[in-house]
Amino acid sequence: MLEPRFATGDPADFVIIGSGAAGGVLAKELATGGFDVVVLEQGPYLRAGDFRHDELAYIFNQELTGGWEGKSPQTFRKTGKDKAALKDLPPPAIYARLVGGSSVHFTGNYWRFHDVDFKERSLLGPIAGTGFADWPIDYAELEPYYTKVDWEVGVSGAAGPFDPRRSRPYPLPPLPVKSSGVLLERGAKKLGLHAFPAPMAVLSEPFNGRAPCAHCGYCMGFGCEMGAKSSSLAAMIPLAEASGRCEIRPECTAFRLDTDAKGRVSRVVYWDEKGREQAQQARAVVLSANGAETPRLMLASTSSRHPDGLANSSGKVGKYLMYNGWTAAYGLFEHPLNDYKSVQVTRIIHDFYDSDPKRGFYGGGGIDARPGLQATPMFFALAGLPRDAPRWGSEYKRMLSEYFTRSMEVNGHTTSLPLESNSVSLDPDVKDLRGRPALRFTYKDHPDDMAAMHFMQERSKDILEAAGAQRIWDLPVEESTITAHLLGTCRMGDDPAESVVDRYHRSHDVPNLFICDGSSLVTSGRGQPTMTIQALAFRAADHIKAFAKRGEI
Amino acid sequence: MNNEQQSRRAFLKASGSLVGSSWLAFHSPLILAVSQEAVKARDSGAAFETLTAAQAAELDAISAQIIPTDDTPGAREAGVIYFIDGALGSFGGGMKEAVIAGLDDLHRRVQSQRGEAALFSGLTAPQQIEMLRTVEDTPFFALLRYLTVAGMFSLPSYGGNRDKIGWQLVGFDNRHHWQPPFGWYDAQLTKGDGNA
Repeated sequence: MLEPRFATGDPADFVIIGSGAAGGVLAKELATGGFDVVVLEQGPYLRAGDFRHDELAYIFNQELTGGWEGKSPQTFRKTGKDKAALKDLPPPAIYARLVGGSSVHFTGNYWRFHDVDFKERSLLGPIAGTGFADWPIDYAELEPYYTKVDWEVGVSGAAGPFDPRRSRPYPLPPLPVKSSGVLLERGAKKLGLHAFPAPMAVLSEPFNGRAPCAHCGYCMGFGCEMGAKSSSLAAMIPLAEASGRCEIRPECTAFRLDTDAKGRVSRVVYWDEKGREQAQQARAVVLSANGAETPRLMLASTSSRHPDGLANSSGKVGKYLMYNGWTAAYGLFEHPLNDYKSVQVTRIIHDFYDSDPKRGFYGGGGIDARPGLQATPMFFALAGLPRDAPRWGSEYKRMLSEYFTRSMEVNGHTTSLPLESNSVSLDPDVKDLRGRPALRFTYKDHPDDMAAMHFMQERSKDILEAAGAQRIWDLPVEESTITAHLLGTCRMGDDPAESVVDRYHRSHDVPNLFICDGSSLVTSGRGQPTMTIQALAFRAADHIKAFAKRGEI
Repeated sequence: MNNEQQSRRAFLKASGSLVGSSWLAFHSPLILAVSQEAVKARDSGAAFETLTAAQAAELDAISAQIIPTDDTPGAREAGVIYFIDGALGSFGGGMKEAVIAGLDDLHRRVQSQRGEAALFSGLTAPQQIEMLRTVEDTPFFALLRYLTVAGMFSLPSYGGNRDKIGWQLVGFDNRHHWQPPFGWYDAQLTKGDGNA
């Protein structure tokens, strides 16, 4: 079926900004639900066959993430008192710019949030100086949509001992365990912990006409040439287009949302693939541009009615940014693991998921084993050896040959508290090539976030030791300055003074503006947000369709 | 300050650190065309495009100390210098100035110790190592280390990693399909060894 072409002057039922984890789901759901949809995506439209085994291009040249050469500069500072500095090597926020968004290059860890993630504030009480809050919805309300993600997007796994209840088993069995998974499980068992198969958005068997994983190992940071990784590009966009009602417009960068006399969004102004300014009329707009680009667009869309940015009467747009804490420990083993093969993660541990007051801090997390970016040899040679190893010469060379096949990384993934002072904003000084203010990140982990990271780092090293590692080393735990998780910046809530969207992802201020992506999250979960972002997108789509059918948009 | 300057400055700043040195502002559209040229040059032993023969000889000697040739091939056999020549003439052009300046500085150091006519590439291996120890914490050395590693381990189509020498060194194989078992420990598990 030929993809429709909608005229910019005719209002589309929905204009969706962003085609990633959330935008892809919403495009598919709204288009197959009978609505005309235009998707604006700032990056190119690549297909599975375009992706290459090219570490230099993807990991170092950032071919999928773009942003070099002033195209999208980002600045960073720790607190509001500091002046933010340009930081583009690497940038503070790494996200992919192409159809499918970051779901194309992600790892595919599809942990569901647990009951506690939605109600932790009530369970544990307030935490002074933070915006720690309950969600307006709970796990039970989201559970059918987690199941929808499992079955529509394609998730492989097996239920674990700490999982929340599920209404349906996984559609696909877990991927075959790797040596890193065997060793993680061995260490866990010795310590009385419980490793279990990692839920992955990667197909272990043929599914919905898609081929399964061929275990090539070019996964995290790369696009899947098999289409086996369940990205929006592989799983959702083709269904959206097959409806005959969805037009994907790649290389189109939205930069402003305009409102009409009634205060409703009327059009999205963007630069097209040739850099020409265009404006797409819209009956309603869905913002799914990610937790940085979404608030950026809103803050840049000022008007007399919205002097502080669109739908920002609460002043919370861009606030409560959460990164998720992350730690890395490494172990060298006697025999080859060859952890560079297949998917990143095959076993995870959730024994430390819940916050435990006995530990003396708020926070929890999960642990997994993986090769990390050291899966590919160039990154490994630059950064994969212990910190005190020689960096050149014959001993360096010897260690490279000894360590590459025989080492693995154990990661801790932890909570981040929502702090109003952590934010995405528009840099007052630095501009991109088109004159737009650069994205400015202000971020400093809460002391409890740091404590949670230290705790998980120690548990990771315990596990490596129990697994029989010959040598153990780590990356020192430091305050976060870089992230791939952009959460909480247009948080969901019932109170229009304290949140940006309501429980249905409709902005409190603008009735035909919906916002659904990582920005909607109220709490950070334990480090693997995409599954929840997509469950929220499926749920939002159901409500948005119902509103539209009842004439309530 | 324009964006290119900002970018270059950020790179030079970052190149002094372990992680920073690995993130470079390459210009992607040029990569393919240039790498094809680099491969041709490498395989035919052609003249260098960007570097003078003298500069290439010095850089080749440095990269051959970063990943030396011993009982297995090193950076020299992998053709790393052809990768560097191609990179500096194209997508890594922003690095060229710093590389040449660093090379000049190294040359002065060599001359002050060994006389006007001395070249780094003419020193004995122990002398070369001693000399590199004096610059190993500089951005210049971080840059050369980055370029050597990139030339050793990136796709052979970029001009280095000849005959997959780099990948063979670490035990990596670039395939589009693998089957379990992937490593020793999962293989033991498949065999039913409870101690795996």
